[in-house]
Amino acid sequence: MVVGMKDALKLIGISIIACCAVFVCTLFLNYNIDITAMKNEITAAGGVEMYNAIVSTGKVVAAVSGGCLAVTSVIMLMFYVKNYIDTHGKELGILKALGYSDFKIAKHFWVFGLSVFVGCALGYAAAFLYLPSFYELQNAEHLFPEIKVQFHPFLAFLLVVVPAISFAALAVIYACFRLKTPVLDLLKEKREYKAKLSKKETKDMPFLKELTRSTVRGIKSLVFFIAFSAFCFSDMVQMSMSMKDLSSETMAIMIMMIGLILAFMTLFLSLSSVVKANTKTIAMMRVFGYQHSDCSKAVLGGYRPVSYIGFAVGTAYQYFLLRIMVDIVFADVENVPEYNFDFTACAISLVLFIITYELFMYIYSQRIKKLSIKSVMLE
Amino acid sequence: MIAISEITKSYGNGDGKTQVLKGITMQINEGDFVVVLGASGSGKSTFLNVISGLERPDSGSVTYGSLEITKLSDSKLTRFRKDNIGFIFQQYYLLQNMTVEKNVRMGAELADNGDYREIITAVGLEDKSKKYPSELSGGEQQRVSVARALAKKPKVLFLDEPTGALDEETGRQVLDYICKLHKEYGFTIVMVTHNQNIAEMANTVVKMNSGKISEISVNKVRKTAYEIGW
Ligand SMILES: Nc1ncnc2c1ncn2[C@@H]1O[C@H](COP(=O)(O)OP(=O)(O)OP(=O)(O)O)[C@@H](O)[C@H]1O
Ligand SMILES: [Mg+2]
Repeated sequence: MVVGMKDALKLIGISIIACCAVFVCTLFLNYNIDITAMKNEITAAGGVEMYNAIVSTGKVVAAVSGGCLAVTSVIMLMFYVKNYIDTHGKELGILKALGYSDFKIAKHFWVFGLSVFVGCALGYAAAFLYLPSFYELQNAEHLFPEIKVQFHPFLAFLLVVVPAISFAALAVIYACFRLKTPVLDLLKEKREYKAKLSKKETKDMPFLKELTRSTVRGIKSLVFFIAFSAFCFSDMVQMSMSMKDLSSETMAIMIMMIGLILAFMTLFLSLSSVVKANTKTIAMMRVFGYQHSDCSKAVLGGYRPVSYIGFAVGTAYQYFLLRIMVDIVFADVENVPEYNFDFTACAISLVLFIITYELFMYIYSQRIKKLSIKSVMLE
Repeated sequence: MIAISEITKSYGNGDGKTQVLKGITMQINEGDFVVVLGASGSGKSTFLNVISGLERPDSGSVTYGSLEITKLSDSKLTRFRKDNIGFIFQQYYLLQNMTVEKNVRMGAELADNGDYREIITAVGLEDKSKKYPSELSGGEQQRVSVARALAKKPKVLFLDEPTGALDEETGRQVLDYICKLHKEYGFTIVMVTHNQNIAEMANTVVKMNSGKISEISVNKVRKTAYEIGW
């Protein structure tokens, strides 16, 4: 077998993201289905407006978080497949040289769909455990009659089975596409280095600067993940702080938790990949006498601007999202507090972000320091 | 002068413990060309790594002039390598995502050497300097690694089986470049190989046998890379 269960386990990042996405979507969609069925029984004053607002919120939240997380998982999956093929070039190349067709090799990649399945199933189960409290929470003001939690098989199918199958298919198709590389390039582990700029520009660039640049440009998806991690952090933490006034505390905590899990997960995975992809370079630099701090700076430093951009985009994103919610979705509902950009929340999360980000960088630079030159060379 | 005194080194622990270096003492003079011969597994690479400051011995000392490198802290040892040592390995270990020129520059910048293009020319690669390692033949890649090591103007150059992955013709060519540059710059060379013929190019030949030096001899007549057998 080309790709084993063990490899599927490594996709825990995707499992966690899938779990979060399905959790949020199940909560809101299940609730929406159940409350829509009771629409005619809503009689309390202001109840209909509240109903409309809640149903739209549910749709927006499910679409935004589900969509965002789905896109992330797709990119992450492609990254894993590509990375797997890149790092196992020799074995896969030999299989191809022996006459295995691309598809015959690629079809083993279906196991990656399992990770999505596990994540989705866990997310769905967790959501079901939490649904009763969620229903109470949504109806804190008792504007609606009491709603019972119903199980909707179609929703379960849509949120668990469909993603698992689509991701398995995607993994196989993408692997097939990636394996189209000529056998010799696979065997030589020849990667594409398209990042060549006009020669004039790089010619006089010092080595360390060039290394930083080529590290960042070498694996583009990592740039996305690191930016995304900062985006999640800034977006979700700030939103959660502002939401405390707009919505319930439980919602705020939930959003904060999901944001932190996503941010840490992706940052952890990306930085591990960065270090792994550069172990040989780092080892050679140490052999030649580059100090450990130079190596860390060159390999990790290039991502700092990326993550600050991610943070800024996240800040803007959460502001507009809340603005839209307050101005459009809740426009007809009374007693919605005024919403303005929350500078304190922004400042606090920026400080927290800088501290955690630099802490991560420090941990990984220590990891670089511990790389044994010899073990890298023995490989 | 490099003074090596009573170095021992073992790997593993308990029953799996193997002593690779069993007390090695010798001296290497400045500007010397030393070849270390020995069967596979006799500890040649380990010996090279220890005396070049890549690994620490379990006991014993390695002293360059008056500097005992076995006593240095990690960052001082790194600095020592930066200022003094060049390496060439059998597997080249070039940085795959950088051009030939940038690979050489990696060495050059450690010595603030602005003339690294001269060395690329000296190993005959001036027309390949914009290529990536994966676009070069084995011999060409090894010449890049020679240029990279020499661009940092080392005082001592360590080579571990530099021709191990090359055929006769490219092997001779690489050795010839190394010899020429040795004459020109006068650094010290310590080369590990199991090709007996290459030993005829050296001043001093050290034979290793299961972790010990069994013989040290001096060549009265030295041959060039094109005169030795293969
Ligand atoms: N990191 C390590 N851990 C455990 N054993 C090791 C390690 N490095 C080397 N050895 C063992 O030490 C012995 C000597 O290894 P070394 O690489 O020095 O031999 P060598 O003379 O260079 O051989 P070759 O000519 O094959 O390169 C070998 O038996 C090897 O298995
Ligand atoms: Mg060896």
